Amino acid sequence: MSGRRLSQGGLIDRSRLLRFRFDGRDFTGHPGDTLASALLASGVRVMGRSFKYHRPRGLWGAWFDDPNAVFNVRLRGDELPNCPATTTALVDGMQARAVNAWPNAENDLKGGLDLFHRWLGAGFYYKTFMWPDWHLFEPSIRKMAGLGAVDGKAIDGYVADQLHDDCDLLVAGGGAAGLAAARAAAEAGYSVVLADDHPTLGGSLYQGDEPIEGEEPQAWVAAQVAAIRAAGGRILTSTTVFGLYDHGLAALAEDRGFARAPRLWRLRARRTLVATGAMDRPITFADNDRPGVMSLQGAAEFLGRYGVLAGQRIAVLSNNSHSAPIVARLRAAGAEVIEADPAEGAPRALGGKRLSGVQIGARKIDCDTLLVSGGLTPTVHLWRHAGGKLDWSAEKAAFVPGAGPDHMLAAGAANGTFDLDPALAEARAAALGTPHATGASGYRVRPLWPQPGSKGRQWIDFQHDVTLKDVELAARENYVSVEHLKRYTTLGMAADQGKTANMAGLAAMAAIQGRPIPEVGTTTFRPPFVPVPMELYHGTRRGQAVNPLKRLELEPQHRAAGAAMGEYGGWLRPAWYGPEDQSAITAEVQAARQAAGVFDGSPLGKIEVMGPDAAAFVNFIYYNTIATLEPGHIRYGFMLRENGLIFDDGVIARLAEDRFLISCSSSHVAGVEAMLESWRQDGNDPDRIFVHDTTQHWATITVTGPQARAIVAALDTGADPATLAHMTLTEGRFGDSPLRIARVSFTGDASFELSVPASRAADLWQAVLAAGTPLGARPIGLEAMSVLRAEKGFIMVGKDTDGETMPHDLGFDVPRRKKKAAFVGDRALQTEAANAADRRQLVGLRVADSGTVLPTGAHIVTGDGPQRSIGFVTSSYFSPTLDRPIALALLESGQQRIGDRVQLRHLGQSLSATVTAPCALDPEGERLNA
Amino acid sequence: MQLFPCPFCGPRNEREFHYVAEPGKTRPDTTGDITAEDWAAYLYDTKNEKGPVREVWMHLTCRELFVMERDSVTMDVLGSKTLRRTLPAEGAA
Amino acid sequence: MRDDSQSWAPPPDHSQPLHGAGVTVTRILPVRQTLISAPDILTRQPAALGWPDVATGDRYSLCLRRDRVLEINGPERAAGWHDGQAISDITDGLIVFEIAGAAALALIQRGTEISERQPSRSVQRLGFGTELMLYRWEDRLRLHAPRADGPALWHRLKAHLDLMG
Ligand SMILES: [Zn+2]
Repeated sequence: MSGRRLSQGGLIDRSRLLRFRFDGRDFTGHPGDTLASALLASGVRVMGRSFKYHRPRGLWGAWFDDPNAVFNVRLRGDELPNCPATTTALVDGMQARAVNAWPNAENDLKGGLDLFHRWLGAGFYYKTFMWPDWHLFEPSIRKMAGLGAVDGKAIDGYVADQLHDDCDLLVAGGGAAGLAAARAAAEAGYSVVLADDHPTLGGSLYQGDEPIEGEEPQAWVAAQVAAIRAAGGRILTSTTVFGLYDHGLAALAEDRGFARAPRLWRLRARRTLVATGAMDRPITFADNDRPGVMSLQGAAEFLGRYGVLAGQRIAVLSNNSHSAPIVARLRAAGAEVIEADPAEGAPRALGGKRLSGVQIGARKIDCDTLLVSGGLTPTVHLWRHAGGKLDWSAEKAAFVPGAGPDHMLAAGAANGTFDLDPALAEARAAALGTPHATGASGYRVRPLWPQPGSKGRQWIDFQHDVTLKDVELAARENYVSVEHLKRYTTLGMAADQGKTANMAGLAAMAAIQGRPIPEVGTTTFRPPFVPVPMELYHGTRRGQAVNPLKRLELEPQHRAAGAAMGEYGGWLRPAWYGPEDQSAITAEVQAARQAAGVFDGSPLGKIEVMGPDAAAFVNFIYYNTIATLEPGHIRYGFMLRENGLIFDDGVIARLAEDRFLISCSSSHVAGVEAMLESWRQDGNDPDRIFVHDTTQHWATITVTGPQARAIVAALDTGADPATLAHMTLTEGRFGDSPLRIARVSFTGDASFELSVPASRAADLWQAVLAAGTPLGARPIGLEAMSVLRAEKGFIMVGKDTDGETMPHDLGFDVPRRKKKAAFVGDRALQTEAANAADRRQLVGLRVADSGTVLPTGAHIVTGDGPQRSIGFVTSSYFSPTLDRPIALALLESGQQRIGDRVQLRHLGQSLSATVTAPCALDPEGERLNA
Repeated sequence: MQLFPCPFCGPRNEREFHYVAEPGKTRPDTTGDITAEDWAAYLYDTKNEKGPVREVWMHLTCRELFVMERDSVTMDVLGSKTLRRTLPAEGAA
Repeated sequence: MRDDSQSWAPPPDHSQPLHGAGVTVTRILPVRQTLISAPDILTRQPAALGWPDVATGDRYSLCLRRDRVLEINGPERAAGWHDGQAISDITDGLIVFEIAGAAALALIQRGTEISERQPSRSVQRLGFGTELMLYRWEDRLRLHAPRADGPALWHRLKAHLDLMG
């Protein structure tokens, strides 16, 4: 005889029947049941197989402390692995299957593995499967171990709602202490959130028969709930506070039903009260994992909440005063209870898949169920998450909250206050911040810890199959720190995170070493308190929202023109126009060189620097001298970091005496703006310099090529492009909008950058193409632009530079030698390293065989002796203009090597090339004014 | 997730902030001679202290640069103060 | 080279409001948005709004920084450094959404840590992965975001409305 449903009692609705299957058999339960309570009520004993040895396992606890009953659960086509049976609410139609067991938990084919337990001790796989290679064995071992299997099917709409909120007081735990505290605080005017992981509040109140403050538990709970709500407090049931983080941030997972993603609350609480209760500890004895050995507290919960009597003939093994009211309750419910004292002798559980009795020293008790209580352990996880310390209470044989951050409070059983009335008084005082003296505790416990050297297989960690012998082995091999013990044996590393195992494990280590328990200490408590789906952290940041790109105003026009789009520096931009890349890129480059290319340059930075000190400031920021720049003129330059390395390049225009426009690289706008702000406020007078990032107000269309001037002239802008010199800027009109025309060139051909407010971008695009198409112009993408600039040897920062490149490595040496004013990075350009003869310098590479485009990233290597990399290819393309491959590279002493033949290596392939100047097209710059 | 006090905006989620530097380092006058050792110390020497620390942070959304005192062990924030010598409001008065 | 145009849905049509969970998100088009920075800007524009101040009407200023405001539908001003102020037209640089309905703040709380109990002098904050200027306008919320982030922000707001609904 094992568990059965009583005709009355509990919080379930007996008027409705829910049907479900477990391991191929049909069962029923009621609303209010968990999978575990419904199975226990149906007499099921074996609900799982252990992780390593495939030992039969039954229920230990009734809630989050149960390590044994772990199911794959399917409901209407949705399947979730690794559902704890004790915390999974029963739903009509569920199909559950014990994990790690085949064909089922009752008759598991791998049950024979247990016979080999001698060879499967802690760390066995490190020692046994060394030769010839662990990886040979790894797949089959991994397959044998482990928990549930995923069915590989994503659940529709499984998206976590995530939100932020705040409150004055968060109460974690809706038992007696939590309810009393929440009510007191809410009635005192605090904004209160009370969260409890059960669907029904009341915590451990249903375990005994005692009235609370003169009322039946359910009536008392209802009264507190009504009072909290009336005072404006919020109550979240089925919601686990699973982590506490810095500065009062709590993470809550709100259960929204099976196969629905929980809701994540990021709750900022000014104060947090830990009222999470206490857990019954297992007793470590031989075969203490037999199905039928259960937690006394768990049995009380099954009785109180679900109306299920765990067994009929029940032996109770307890070392503490907490058991008396539960024993009385079990007897009142009709069980035959035999109490035993663990001091009588070393216990041993008897029987096979089902418990048949317990031997205690010389005494043998026949029973179908053995309820054990090794003492109460306060649930201090959240206290530790928040940085609270633990004190060892010898009187209570437990770690209890000690010193903690000011905003952290603990009350009730979580605080080691196990008696009801003192817990209520303590909780109310904590909620109101009033002083409170804890009275004498009525709780009595005799220390009872694992006995090293004792006989039999004694489980410490049920879920990860760690026994006392494994702890002893770890100690022999000198893994004596609890953190090492944990990693070596995997004690406490299962999905239950050692809720029932950690105390036994560290007490065993203490006993082995003859050290006091507090000296051994605990492992680190980390969130999440219970497993939560990864989805909880994921939410709506999925698909395109994972790392969204910035989007161009002209994206619809690009798509309509058949653009292939790609990510360039955080923007989605046209790569080329047409169905196939190479032919499109070639055609675009040819059009740009022979007629005109029309390029969407909108992401190009447009940061304005204004104010009386603006000129001095940009002169300090830039490597190049900017102070001498005339209004209306543009200069190319570099920004460095203080270590002399290139941070960004681009052009800067002087719009007026006290107004500059910085066109930094498209992908660096935010970084450049933050860098400017840093220097502005640190070392300069921020009242005389202002930095406005106007990048996204403007759309920029670049027209480049021999026909560019004619196209711009056709636009009726009020400005004459013919008189606009290279590296100057002017303002015109586009209809009734302002238009900025800058003559700068990234292609080596005459180029005009036309900027209008973004809302006019489509009109300008259309106008430019209307004027340009008859002249042979066409839109060009980023890839063609990359080729065009590489033909000229123009660099792209981050592509043709790396984390060692200084401006003189690119041939820009004048400011380093001549600039008088201080500038960012100046001193770093004069160091020994900056002057080294073997610095990598920018060069071009020309291959002999005109068909071979060098692979980007190929290493240039020394020719003789052991090969050494002396540089690498940074950009490499086939140039349609020159009808041959071109390449840029960074090469040690590159300037001295111009004309040399060099060897290259790439993925085992050998290549050769001749070092040239970076510029391969029109080195005299005649095309600019053609 | 910490709460940092921007001297202008008040407490905000730590995601809105970037660490900038240790305070108290003054940029050497680079128009004069600076030894390699002094320049290296300016660039690279950081105290990386345990316990109470002073650090320069930027509040990214309002771009305020400020000195924050906090405890690198407990994560307690002890105070924050703008880097500006003269606050605009005072300057206007 | 890879063509990712199919990996990214075309930008959403902002002209149609989003509805869900009793909330409506609408794009609005201010005639003018002007960035003004000056050491004494908060003395010049003391009414510049912070959080949770309430804007009303058509024309108002938002306090962004110690020395910067965003003027909504203010007078046309010449860009540049004039009269001790740095001025830039940013009308097309910021996309503006208005969020109406009882759960407007609850929607915003999906993307940023914000509370009416936690005032702030500045309306700028990070939310939904981008920079927002977020404030109360009459019985609604309004937010301004970088124009190029508008599609991503719209996408996230829609996803959250679907989840809340
Ligand atoms: Zn701030």
